[in-house]
Amino acid sequence: MNRRSPLADKRILVVEDEYFIARDLERALRAADAIVVGPVATLEQGLDLAENQPLDAAVLDVNLAGERAFEIADRLSARDVPWTFLTGYDEWALPAPYRSASIVAKPFQPDRIIRAIGALIPDKGCA
Amino acid sequence: MTELASLHGQTPLSAPPRGPLPHDSHVLAGINRILQEALRASTEEELGQLCLAVAEDLTGAAFSFFGERRDSHDRLDHIAISERGWAAYAGSDPDFSQRQLPNGMKIHGIFGQVILQDRSMIVNDPANHPDRVGTPEGHPSLHNFLGVPLRRDGETFAMFALGNHPTGFTERERAIAEELAPAIVQALLRKRAEVASRASQRRLLSLIEGIPQLVWTATRDGQWTWVSPQWVAMTGLSVEESLGHGWLAAVHPDDRDAALRFWNGASEHGELAMEGRLRHGQTGRYRWFKTRATPVRDDHGNIVEWFGTSTDIDTLRRLRERQETLVAELQHRVRNILTIVRSIFTRTVESGGPIDEISDHFRGRLDSLARTQVVATQTRSGRVDLENLIRDELLGVGAIEDDRLSIEGPDISLPADTAETMGLAIHELTTNALKYGALRHPAGRLSIAWAIELKSNSECELIVKWDETGVPAMPVPPVRQGFGTELIREALPYGLGARTRLEFRGGGVLCVITLPWAADDADALNRSTKG
Repeated sequence: MNRRSPLADKRILVVEDEYFIARDLERALRAADAIVVGPVATLEQGLDLAENQPLDAAVLDVNLAGERAFEIADRLSARDVPWTFLTGYDEWALPAPYRSASIVAKPFQPDRIIRAIGALIPDKGCA
Repeated sequence: MTELASLHGQTPLSAPPRGPLPHDSHVLAGINRILQEALRASTEEELGQLCLAVAEDLTGAAFSFFGERRDSHDRLDHIAISERGWAAYAGSDPDFSQRQLPNGMKIHGIFGQVILQDRSMIVNDPANHPDRVGTPEGHPSLHNFLGVPLRRDGETFAMFALGNHPTGFTERERAIAEELAPAIVQALLRKRAEVASRASQRRLLSLIEGIPQLVWTATRDGQWTWVSPQWVAMTGLSVEESLGHGWLAAVHPDDRDAALRFWNGASEHGELAMEGRLRHGQTGRYRWFKTRATPVRDDHGNIVEWFGTSTDIDTLRRLRERQETLVAELQHRVRNILTIVRSIFTRTVESGGPIDEISDHFRGRLDSLARTQVVATQTRSGRVDLENLIRDELLGVGAIEDDRLSIEGPDISLPADTAETMGLAIHELTTNALKYGALRHPAGRLSIAWAIELKSNSECELIVKWDETGVPAMPVPPVRQGFGTELIREALPYGLGARTRLEFRGGGVLCVITLPWAADDADALNRSTKG
């Protein structure tokens, strides 16, 4: 029997303003049997989904066409939804409260993002 | 003696009684006068004259001088000639007439023996003295002489000499003069120390008040005891307002706790340093300062007070922050574009086909991205002119603007991220036209036109229309969605909020891209169309 992907049937929000990067993320997540919520490109859309969708985890690009995704991260944290940043910024360039957050550096390989999200989601006793 | 009497003018008012009484009250009064009044003298010469006047008064000499060995030791400089000495001069030397003290005199003759033999000397018959060398022109004729060496640390460094006592010098005058000598030395050295100390203080004060730092002193618990004028000028707080803990009023409220904590370490650490904001009194704006404090210790090494400076680092901090922002943005851009390149590569390879074709496609897309990057990073604004973006793409494949190709629209520029995707879209359309469409067939025509349109809700849109006509055979639409089609139909709407229309119709491709256009960008357009 094949081992079940840790992301199987997990609802993962993707907020990324670059179309091609968003599509790559979507593709990688689907390949890991996750359910992709989004992807969306703007802060406004991201906030909407972060508040109104059932979610297990999220991948957030920090720079959304010049706007910062920190507000989305805060909303998700308030809901206890784990998230990871996907960004070209180094840790020092982020505001202090986010420096210890989970960060996947661009350019990234699909495996890395899957592993990072897998690490965020608690293993809820698979039968 | 008649000559001498006329030189002398009058008998000294306080001539002491005759007799060998060197410690008498007149001598003590003279010493006292030298020590008291000499310090008030404004110059060394004035001090010297006072000493000589006292010596003349007490000994009854007619004139006198006070000289000091030069460092070279074989020459003598005058510190002073007494008032009576100047008055007695009868020569025509213009320097003397202007009371120019003679310097660099060779140490010789009778006066020279005082220094060379290092002892006081009475010469009551100078004309027959074996060492006599004569007197300079205009010098009053010398009838008798009393010279006394002046010692510092046991070494003779100077002398004073008295001339022309009415009846010749005796041991009594010698004793008085020798009694005065230490007081004269003390007065001179004290005066010099005071002048040096004042000069040193002036230099220090000029330095403290001339440097751009704000300077202050404080006790160990941060109670300020003194502030420099720079502090007053910067903060607008007066000296009185700043003393004690008054300086805290100029500190940013958020930095006050840190500023007080700063002093907690004062007992343990040798030096304190912190960065904090101080309020500029005139503008009310806060500026960043780096404050340091160094302890001032007594002879036993105990800290008696703290000496502090606050250096304006506001501009430096701003530049540093700006630099950090620029580096962060650059990193973001570089890493983002690499991620996009990686993604485009994957897609180009996935489209399949011979390796040469994949290679051409990928290179074309990479070149398009590179062109936009170059233009975007050439200007401060990072914006890219739309017409140039289109022309560069078409000229790059050898298309010539003639009656079959028209490029027309107002002068507008796109933000870098929009230009990047638009550049790729134009590239894909151009490649397609070259392979199947208007740029391949002699009868084909291509019109590229754009305009800003005002929508009913007073928002603006940029509409770019790519219109091919005259292509004879209906081009075969790609069997599955290729890179270019996905870019136009999905990437443009996704990232830029565009509406797009892409049709492969008879006669060629029609592509209409409608982008939301920000109002301030519309202003830029109005300016250019009016101009």
